[in-house]
Amino acid sequence: MNTITIAWVTLPFFVGFFIYLFPLLDRYLALGVALASAGYASLLFAEKSPVSLLLVDNFGVRLYADQLSAFFILTNALVTAAVIFYCWNNGKTTFFYTQAIILHGSINSAFVCADFVTLYVALEVLGIAAFLLIVYPRTDRSIWVGLRYLCVSNVALLFYLIGAVLVYQAHNSFSFAGLRDAPPEALALIFLGLLTKGGIFVSGLWLPLTHSESETPVSALMSGVVVKAGVYPLVRCALMVPEVDPIVRVFGVGTALLGVFYAVFEKDTKRMLAFHTVSQLGFILAAPIVGGFYALTHGLVKSALFLIAGNLPSRNFKELQHQPISTPIWIALVIASFSISGFPLLSGFGAKVLTSKNLLPWQAIVMNIAALGTAISFAKFIFLPRGVTENNTKPSFWVAVLILIGGLFIANIVYYEAYTWENIIKPLVTIGIGWLAYLLIFKHLVIKLPRAIEQFDHLIGVMTLILVFLFWKGFAWLGI
Amino acid sequence: MKIISMDVMSTGAVAYYVVIASREGLFTPILGSVQKGAYADPVPQAVILTAIVIGFSIQALMLVGAMKLARNNPTLETNEIEKNNTP
Repeated sequence: MNTITIAWVTLPFFVGFFIYLFPLLDRYLALGVALASAGYASLLFAEKSPVSLLLVDNFGVRLYADQLSAFFILTNALVTAAVIFYCWNNGKTTFFYTQAIILHGSINSAFVCADFVTLYVALEVLGIAAFLLIVYPRTDRSIWVGLRYLCVSNVALLFYLIGAVLVYQAHNSFSFAGLRDAPPEALALIFLGLLTKGGIFVSGLWLPLTHSESETPVSALMSGVVVKAGVYPLVRCALMVPEVDPIVRVFGVGTALLGVFYAVFEKDTKRMLAFHTVSQLGFILAAPIVGGFYALTHGLVKSALFLIAGNLPSRNFKELQHQPISTPIWIALVIASFSISGFPLLSGFGAKVLTSKNLLPWQAIVMNIAALGTAISFAKFIFLPRGVTENNTKPSFWVAVLILIGGLFIANIVYYEAYTWENIIKPLVTIGIGWLAYLLIFKHLVIKLPRAIEQFDHLIGVMTLILVFLFWKGFAWLGI
Repeated sequence: MKIISMDVMSTGAVAYYVVIASREGLFTPILGSVQKGAYADPVPQAVILTAIVIGFSIQALMLVGAMKLARNNPTLETNEIEKNNTP
């Protein structure tokens, strides 16, 4: 298993460089790597004990993989495969596939590493690859969005780096376990880096613009898996060091509410989906133990939604309401929206039940409000008019969406114990109230929320504020 | 300007690593015949080397992006660029 792990981690990087030598095989090679990751994830599910590796001496690279990472890796594999299928006949150059595979590889290594330096390198490589994917169209807007993303993530990781050396000073190694002995300022700095990278709470408000302004397949990749690379270490830390668990949960609840609040009032499809990503990341963090399953569900459904939203005739909900969309697309859209609102028979249901079981009592009410908000915001998609029969979508689009939605149905089986009457009725009631609220109130509401906080200068400023907050309030209050 | 300030920040982080490494001693930890006494800790230095390289490559990448932007926004004022490019 150890050899397989190492081979699997390095494979995407090798293939990424080799793709350039065989430009004709680019799509097949890229797809092969995604399938290899899926295979590795299934091996990991079968493995009883976690795989733990320590390469080159005590200060070397630490890898740690268990079921939690398997969920994240599977998400990555499926989303990448779907995106490659989506781009199959889009005339993307080899460069695109190279970057996609390197991105895939760096996310994979972020999902298995267990020390701060490996994580840092993985996150930086990921940032660069994501930047190159965002600027792929090379328009002024995409370059600006990319620069903004790269700058924010790099500044966040500089804070993180300082935190990492403080951990080293306290523990003489960079492993995650050293977080326990570390001083509070180290915790605050590292958490700030990861929160920003993962797009959580106010420090994650760079995310909506970045995700909504990139190309369709790139937004699917970004929202589906890239942000998870920042979330996974937080979940892992919360599991390894129980003292930081409350802080992770607080941020989870906060970001779930904030994201859904923006999503409900948003009038643009892709921005709504992006804000909704912010909120769903909160659900993952709110119950770290079962975060893996939720991440899988969310990754699949969100990339499916982004791919579908890219094929709608308009991005504005107001225009969409007067413009019927073709029935097959509508069906796909509705299945995905149902899953994310937690409707039974789809894996979103199992994930929501599992998460709500592992919530602390004080979290439950807030998370229910967030779930209600989800139902309201996705009612916008469900109640779109349909009926045009003309169909101009490419078959590659349908292969991609089928993979993702099929994944949703299959993942549903993982947690079949969820099907009790009480569990089934609760989401139905939530969805019902959400739809009523949408039809009666929110459909007619026109509120434009100010976007000042998303400005570049404010993003950097907010990071500092969060840092101060984490340091003074969070950790002083926890008394670590 | 923003790119330069980012570079200054990364220099700060690098310098901090070096300071931490040299807290115990200043001599380079290389095997030799002469015993010198207190050695500097090589691990943070090794780690920060990676970070320097990454920081440098990001710097280069961002400057290329800025060059592309400069074609249409010769003054490179971020406020203006942001206003033009936010939907």
